[in-house]
Amino acid sequence: MSPLFSKGPSTNFKIIAVLIISLGLMMIDQAQQAVQPVRSGIAAALQPLQLAAELPADAIDFFSKYIDRDELAAENRKLNQKVLLLRARLQKLAALEAENERIRGLLASSDSLDEDVLIAEILAISPDPYLHFMKLNKGSMDGVFPGQALIDANGIIGQVTEVNMMDSNAIMITDANHGIPVELNRTGLQTIAQGTGKTDKLLLPFLANNADVREGDLLVSSGLGGRYPAGYPVATVSAVSHQAGDEFLTVRAIPTASLNRGREALLVWTQHPAPPRAAEQAEAPESTVAQSTAKPTDKQTPEAAPPAGQ
Amino acid sequence: MSPNANVSLLLIFSSIAFALVLTLIPLPVWAAISRPAFFAATVAFWALMQPHRFGVISAWVCGLFLDASYGTPLGQHALALAIVTFVIARFKDFYWSIPLIQQSLTLLPVFALYEFILFWIDGVSGRAVDPLWRWLPVLSTTIVWPFWVLALERFATIEVQS
Repeated sequence: MSPLFSKGPSTNFKIIAVLIISLGLMMIDQAQQAVQPVRSGIAAALQPLQLAAELPADAIDFFSKYIDRDELAAENRKLNQKVLLLRARLQKLAALEAENERIRGLLASSDSLDEDVLIAEILAISPDPYLHFMKLNKGSMDGVFPGQALIDANGIIGQVTEVNMMDSNAIMITDANHGIPVELNRTGLQTIAQGTGKTDKLLLPFLANNADVREGDLLVSSGLGGRYPAGYPVATVSAVSHQAGDEFLTVRAIPTASLNRGREALLVWTQHPAPPRAAEQAEAPESTVAQSTAKPTDKQTPEAAPPAGQ
Repeated sequence: MSPNANVSLLLIFSSIAFALVLTLIPLPVWAAISRPAFFAATVAFWALMQPHRFGVISAWVCGLFLDASYGTPLGQHALALAIVTFVIARFKDFYWSIPLIQQSLTLLPVFALYEFILFWIDGVSGRAVDPLWRWLPVLSTTIVWPFWVLALERFATIEVQS
């Protein structure tokens, strides 16, 4: 059997060419969005394979529900009770919201509490165990935009990093290259919660020795940096310790959102008081949360800018 | 299957698509970190069995698929797979001459090289990885290799009698 092109370039030449092209491609990919269309194109072409990979888990899910009628009935009962409970709470909330609105009116505060949401299905969690990414079934056709916040019933999950036409990718707050500006709900102290690469752990590396932080404190998003809406729960502090001679406390926290369990997530549209485009552009390049391993130009690390005065 | 037999590109790429599906099936974390590199094993198989059809460039293009579906820097897996194919093409006479089990053992350094390139690029691009667990796929791929080769050869008999 003779090869198709017997006088083609030698293997040595090919490997060197491929080496140079790969390195160039990776550098461009890291630095800017130029190869994004290529990536989206390949991803779209591979969409059927992605769905095929999801099929076994989905099928098991489907059939177990089909067979286990009792379980379904029990779940239905439980959900009905929950709806009742939430309805009762909602009645109170309506009154509270009206009161809040009135008081805000007195303070002449301009920001609104209203946020639009869209339910997105989580298609896949990153197959790479070291990356905390998820794929969502909503894309630019539904108005999803890069940097959009993603929440679930219990708190913030992460933010959208990459938008294709029919789907999008989001980074979770526990990814090792992600940081989110938070404040302590009890005291209002501002800081940053960094991901660690483990789904049940966040670190708060910038709290001074004398900071008032206790185990069990709730961390909510502060809204600084303009990426995340303010006031959503992010994590609860699980451990506070201090190494003698260290300038900062070692504070660990557990995310409140169920990061590796749910099948659905909510995409949030916040009505920004500030002009969104200009703010977005200015803040995108400076992902300067002090982190020795992450390059500031890394496009996969869209950290929100640190709050001023940190 | 003899390396001189001629297998159609359709068959090669359907086996690679199947390997990609195996790579993307969601698994619990403990299984995901030790998942054999089916994709790399399949590329290595075709580089070994069909060197005149499946070379460095084909492996590189296949690697781009993996990069796109993993969300890694475009070129990372492509580069690693191209280098694996290059090494295998260099030593193909040696690999042809030994039995399957020995083949699997002597391919261990090749898979280790593959994981090392991925590990190294992860490090340079600032992504955190667990340095110890990173090497599990090398072992699992080595263990799976003989079975995977038999399965792929079986699959290739659709077109070629062995």
